[in-house]
Amino acid sequence: MGFTLWWIRLWSLTVKELLQFSRDGFLIIAITYMFTLDIWLSGNIHIELHRASMIFKDADQSEFSRELISRFRSPYFRMEGEVFSENEAVSLLDRGEAILLIDIPEHFQQDLLSRRSVDVQLMIDGSNTIIGTLTSTYGSQIIGEYSLDIGLDLLRFHLDRLEAIPRVELRPRVWYNPNQEDERFLPISELLTVITICGLMLPAAAAVREKERGTIEQLLVSPLTPAQIMIPKVFSMTLVVLIGTMVSVFGVIKGIFVIPIKGSLIFFFSTVVLYTIAVSGMGLFISTFTKNLAQVAMLVLVVAMPVVLLSGAWTPPEAMPLWLRRAIHLSPLYYFIEMSYGILLRGAGFEVLWLHFLGLFLLGSGAFIFGAYRFRRQFG
Amino acid sequence: MVSASSIVVKVWQLSKAYRNHRAIENVSLEIRRGEIFGLIGPDGAGKSTLMKIVAGVLSFDKGTVRVFDIDLNSETSAERIKQRIGFMPQGLGLNLYADLSVEENIDFFARLRDVRGGELKRRKEKLLAMTRLDRFTDRPMKHLSGGMKQKLGLICTLIHEPELIILDEPTTGVDPVSRRDFWEILTELIHYQNITAIVSTAYLDEAERFHRLAFMYGGKVIGDGDPETLRASFPKVVIEVATQDQVEVLERLRSVFPQVNGLGGRIRVFADRTISKGSLDRIFGEIGINHFEEVEPSLEDVFAMLIEPGSSNPQLDRTRGKVVAPRLNEDLPSKGKHTFKESIPNCHGETVIEAYNLTRDFGSFRAVDNVSFEVRRGEIFGLLGANGAGKTTLIKMLTGILSPTSGEGKVAGSDIRRAGREVRERIGYVSQSFSLYQDLTVVENMRLFAGIYGISGKRASVRIEEVSEMTGLGGYEKELAKRLPMGIRQRLALACAIIHFPEILFLDEPTSGVDPLGRRRFWSILSNLVGNEKVAILITTHYMSEAEHCDRLALMHGGRIVANDSPVALKAQLRADIGELLVVKARNLQKVLGPLRSIFPNASFFGNKVHVFASDPERAKDKILETVGRDEIVEITSQDPTLEDVFVFRITQLERMERT
Repeated sequence: MGFTLWWIRLWSLTVKELLQFSRDGFLIIAITYMFTLDIWLSGNIHIELHRASMIFKDADQSEFSRELISRFRSPYFRMEGEVFSENEAVSLLDRGEAILLIDIPEHFQQDLLSRRSVDVQLMIDGSNTIIGTLTSTYGSQIIGEYSLDIGLDLLRFHLDRLEAIPRVELRPRVWYNPNQEDERFLPISELLTVITICGLMLPAAAAVREKERGTIEQLLVSPLTPAQIMIPKVFSMTLVVLIGTMVSVFGVIKGIFVIPIKGSLIFFFSTVVLYTIAVSGMGLFISTFTKNLAQVAMLVLVVAMPVVLLSGAWTPPEAMPLWLRRAIHLSPLYYFIEMSYGILLRGAGFEVLWLHFLGLFLLGSGAFIFGAYRFRRQFG
Repeated sequence: MVSASSIVVKVWQLSKAYRNHRAIENVSLEIRRGEIFGLIGPDGAGKSTLMKIVAGVLSFDKGTVRVFDIDLNSETSAERIKQRIGFMPQGLGLNLYADLSVEENIDFFARLRDVRGGELKRRKEKLLAMTRLDRFTDRPMKHLSGGMKQKLGLICTLIHEPELIILDEPTTGVDPVSRRDFWEILTELIHYQNITAIVSTAYLDEAERFHRLAFMYGGKVIGDGDPETLRASFPKVVIEVATQDQVEVLERLRSVFPQVNGLGGRIRVFADRTISKGSLDRIFGEIGINHFEEVEPSLEDVFAMLIEPGSSNPQLDRTRGKVVAPRLNEDLPSKGKHTFKESIPNCHGETVIEAYNLTRDFGSFRAVDNVSFEVRRGEIFGLLGANGAGKTTLIKMLTGILSPTSGEGKVAGSDIRRAGREVRERIGYVSQSFSLYQDLTVVENMRLFAGIYGISGKRASVRIEEVSEMTGLGGYEKELAKRLPMGIRQRLALACAIIHFPEILFLDEPTSGVDPLGRRRFWSILSNLVGNEKVAILITTHYMSEAEHCDRLALMHGGRIVANDSPVALKAQLRADIGELLVVKARNLQKVLGPLRSIFPNASFFGNKVHVFASDPERAKDKILETVGRDEIVEITSQDPTLEDVFVFRITQLERMERT
């Protein structure tokens, strides 16, 4: 009897949650957008240098200078034209119309031919740090190569004799994504973020809506336990997130971007379920402190930020100070990212990831139990 | 005949719509100088919209509105009347500033209206004295009681001495004493200053306070006139029968009369006017009733008739006979002690709610103060009181939502402190605001609550059908809850609350905002429930007229219970304490006011009448005629005191005792 009663209650409330969700047109549109269009958009964004606009100021107008400038090429750079004064160049950089200026001094060719070193100036718009850094790196590389070429050439060193010179050479070899296509990486990372936000937000919103509309009173005077009120919310919203994830994986990630998935999708979806339950607990916990949807949205941001920051989604854990690096184990997203990349891109299985699985499980059940405790306490 | 110049407001074929919702439809009214004109109707009837239009703060779509003979057809004409109008919007103290003191609030509104210097001082002193707020001029508005806030609101509305004041539901949620106080002040002002007032209210028992009134329903005026004319238009004769054995007598009466209404200890019968006194005697004699009296129809009867002509109690008739449905749990294996009651024991009168010295504090504020009472099975127990009297807090303690600060309570035999969940399985609860899922349909809501109490599958379907029949929800099953009219919604809430065969029903102001007809249906459903399922009902309300339906009543004031008895006993006690209620109708109220007050300091005004209490009615009548003058008095009649009379007396008595 006890079990049957439990089950009837759970079932009735889960059906209720899903019915309510299905009648909220706005929510459905938002969720659909996040799991489809948003993921697709993220696959069209590149974090490598792509046709960065550049200008040049060539005071030398020589064969050598033209050779150097011509080495700044597509796909990394796009030549926007020549400027004739520093002021003009600075103003273009300031207005963001150019990212890079290469400034070649007078007597460039003459000095090189006289075997004197010359300076070339690169002016880079550093307001976007990533692009600035990339521009600077690529620029130095191009100039370095040119310098080597021109140096060897002037020393009458023939390229075919280059092999004879002993030198240390770096040959990077990228695993799993040999062409370093970031459309493999970004949509997946975006999907994980979407799952995090939905997992936090949906159950919290469902719970706070009951408070806002006063329906919670009716549940509180019924013999339901806090867990019986909470579990159906987590259940139904996890189902929604899982369906969204499936649509995203099969429709966008596999369907449009044709990203090869190395591991077991069943394992991945189980991880999604476990993770969603974990963040749902946090969401419900948030809902106990709030009175309305606006407050939930604010608090979700406050909670989501450290979860994302600590997870290593934006910055690798290795780049963090030691004390922060210890804190990453408190972010469920950390385990989730490790596991998801592991499964999807590296084909890792449970035997490799079980420790992460355990971490996620412990963190999830902790958040959930604490959420249930707070849920009852808030109506004292 | 009324001369044209004495008409202050003339509304002609007025219509106003918000998007595609028609707020007001083809309304025509005339309001005369020096009268208190009432707009009565449930929430959403269009009262506020009409008042805002007359005050010139809202535009309208069709028709004409003339205020002081100025056509309100443009912004500029609306501006011209504003200085001559005082408007108090709905909501206790919503137009006031919480952090400003009483005096600062008055000064602020005076400056707005360009009243200053000696004139402001003079008016302020007079109004503060009249409202007895003069002792509280330094108190911030937020620390005033509801009644005091409303009086302050009135002062701020009157500070520029308007000719017309428009008050939107000034008495909603105010306790009975402050309510009466408010009316006294208003009536006095009207009489001495020759201003006109338009006042809206959802309380029908206030209708007697108006000189003339309009019943509003669904954006239309469905009847208007003075209370007497309206009452005379009622097509039926109302007969009251006092009885101890209500269920039995009700049954017998229903076999003869189509419309019968059960109140606490009394039954109201609606008979055709054509039936002669003699045949009435015979009909009643045949069913074994010897004692009955004809009473005046109440204005609520009139309103209900106007909403649905030819029927003032249709729900009861439709469901009659059907409500004795087979008890579902009899053919069910009663395994879970917490799912169903085994059966309904016949021990009528067993105590199911016991409260001993229940107290609840919120910080330094004591919301419920040492409350003790008992409720028995098969009884409707009414808890009356203003907003903030402690009703809801008390219910929340008994339903286990809040824990008491001190005191004991037993509900359905279980301690409310320890056995919260057990208690909750045996109670049903309808909360103050509609607390069901608006985005679910009627059936989905019922199925959900059936499931919560462990009723599923076919058993649920059977019970849902049974419950929807009991509460008259047939035909609405597929409707989303948010699309239901207020009255139906409350019936759905009731249906969900009784789906699990509770022993006790807690209803927290289930009828606020519902129209009179809807309220009557609701009450007849309740009396059926008590009769057929032998549940105990604890209901709160601030409608005094509804209190009559209860078997027993407790009035709460300031967190305490100040009276606790049956309506009949309470009234009898009042008679013993202060005597009979006499209604004095005078030719010119202004002339008789002073003399009457000198004999009866507690004389109070009801429209163009005065109510006084006298322990010896005959001598009092002579004395009134003698003092006031025979020519001034139209008639003196005696009347049944209302429960409001009872409560006002009890509260003032209590306050007097505390002061000494």
